[in-house]
Amino acid sequence: MITAGLALVVLGAAAAYAVSTAGRLEPAALAGGAMGIVLLAVGITLRWPATVPWAVLLTGAGYLAGREGRSLVDGWAAAVGVMLLVAAELAMWSIEHDARIRSERALLIRRSATLAGLACVALLVNFLLLATAAVAASAGVVLAAIGVAAAVGAVAVVLRLVAAS
Amino acid sequence: MTRYASPKLGGYAGLSALGLLGALVFGRPELVALTAPFLLALAVGLALATPPQLEIAVELASERVLEGDEVGASVVVSSQTPVDRLDLYLRLPPGVELADGGNPVALRLAAGERRELEFTLRAAHWGGHLLGPAYARARDPLGFLVWETAAPTRPELRTYPREEVLRRVVQPRDTQLFSGNEVARRKGEGIEFADIRLWAAGDPLKRVNWRASARRGELWVNESHPERNTDVILFVDSFAEARRGGAGTLDLAVRATAALADAYVRRRDRVGLIGFGGILRWLVPGTGLVQLYRVVDALLDTQIVLSYYWKEIDVIPPRTLPPNALVIALSPLLDGRSVGALLDLRARRYDLAVIDVSPVPFTIRPSGGIDQVAYDIWTLRRDALRHRLQRAGVAVAEWREGSPLEAVLEEVRAYRRYARHARV
Repeated sequence: MITAGLALVVLGAAAAYAVSTAGRLEPAALAGGAMGIVLLAVGITLRWPATVPWAVLLTGAGYLAGREGRSLVDGWAAAVGVMLLVAAELAMWSIEHDARIRSERALLIRRSATLAGLACVALLVNFLLLATAAVAASAGVVLAAIGVAAAVGAVAVVLRLVAAS
Repeated sequence: MTRYASPKLGGYAGLSALGLLGALVFGRPELVALTAPFLLALAVGLALATPPQLEIAVELASERVLEGDEVGASVVVSSQTPVDRLDLYLRLPPGVELADGGNPVALRLAAGERRELEFTLRAAHWGGHLLGPAYARARDPLGFLVWETAAPTRPELRTYPREEVLRRVVQPRDTQLFSGNEVARRKGEGIEFADIRLWAAGDPLKRVNWRASARRGELWVNESHPERNTDVILFVDSFAEARRGGAGTLDLAVRATAALADAYVRRRDRVGLIGFGGILRWLVPGTGLVQLYRVVDALLDTQIVLSYYWKEIDVIPPRTLPPNALVIALSPLLDGRSVGALLDLRARRYDLAVIDVSPVPFTIRPSGGIDQVAYDIWTLRRDALRHRLQRAGVAVAEWREGSPLEAVLEEVRAYRRYARHARV
């Protein structure tokens, strides 16, 4: 219950931020966020892990819709990304949790520490990425091509890893 | 070991791919920031995921217990690689309950660590119970990959039924040649006085009855009954049973058989067993504690197996049914094949007693209508069947759940006394 509640709160915070900073497409941001939260709540209640990525996707789409018409890069996107990850992790934790299994306390502490560590590293990486994007914003075609290649390469690596596992 | 990906892996991979491609299409760096944490989690999770090298074994403190007793069990688990989260579940068969300890349990194993998880189990029901398998499910630190395996060892817990201590048993009509506790009808070397007769050459002096000799003016000697053992065959009908909730006629029959075997073995009688049902089991008569254990061990494997094959008494090996043996049948008299076999035994002049383990308490009488009439006809037909057996000279007593076996045996003894007098 605690993890489920925290997941909904964190995703709600991300959605609220998206709505509060939204431009002319504020209703779209609101709808995306609301649908994401509802979908996550349904997924947790019915123990459907497949709904979690969709909830994250809807909330992320709401955020993106809110950024429509704003040319400046939002620095807080780093925190929003981490919030989405934390919400997804907590929701998965809640869905996986089985009250019949007696867990050792050390296991709980370790999982919490792993999640906190992952969130911190992800936040750091996100800030670095956004800082790099800000620096390279006017760098020209070459860097843009390198960025595209890096993105495609990252997707390829991820798909390869998934296929191998 | 079976490996599969958790739903999280596909979800995160899809989000990452979609986010990065979306960032390229829309030219929004924020989308990279939204996606990067999922990409990072995937990269870290898959890099840290190492297949666990688990060894699992299930051990029992004791392999033989009495019904209702508690026994310690342990699952020993070790791994050569670190396992961030390991779920262990020991599957308990029906008839074995968890008295103390956690099952299932989640734990963490460091590389080379060995853990022993202790459980206390309660043997709730008689029988041979195969414990396990013990299932193990390991996950990587971020839960992207799952490995599942089961322990190869499955120890057997043999739970013996708690038997009633019987003070008196049904005495066989005929005795055998070896010494025992039963006073034989024939005359011979023994303690029990039988008669006196005229002295004959070769009679020892210690057997001379001096009082009778003085009165009659010639030598008379005492005759006695020897103490001999008997052969008892316990016939368990396992063609069909009536069961309701956790109890059934087979349970009662098995418990009674164990009690009877114990009582007869204590009398130094030879005890044999015939499990007459879908699967035919038999045990040649023998004596002693070892034979008692053999009988009880054979009983543990008794179960109702559906069979349409028409079995007659001929399928039983002849050595299992020695001449002059007392056959005590424990049957719910539900299957025509077992009833036929009992009548056949009687026709072959076996000394037969039948304990009718009544299925009636395990049934519910319908409240009305044609069902109630059918039920009443069924009970009447059961009475008729008992009378038919009695007319054939078989001592039959109905045993209902809750009544002591001793009382049922007394009923059988009473019938046999009456039948014997009637024959004379």
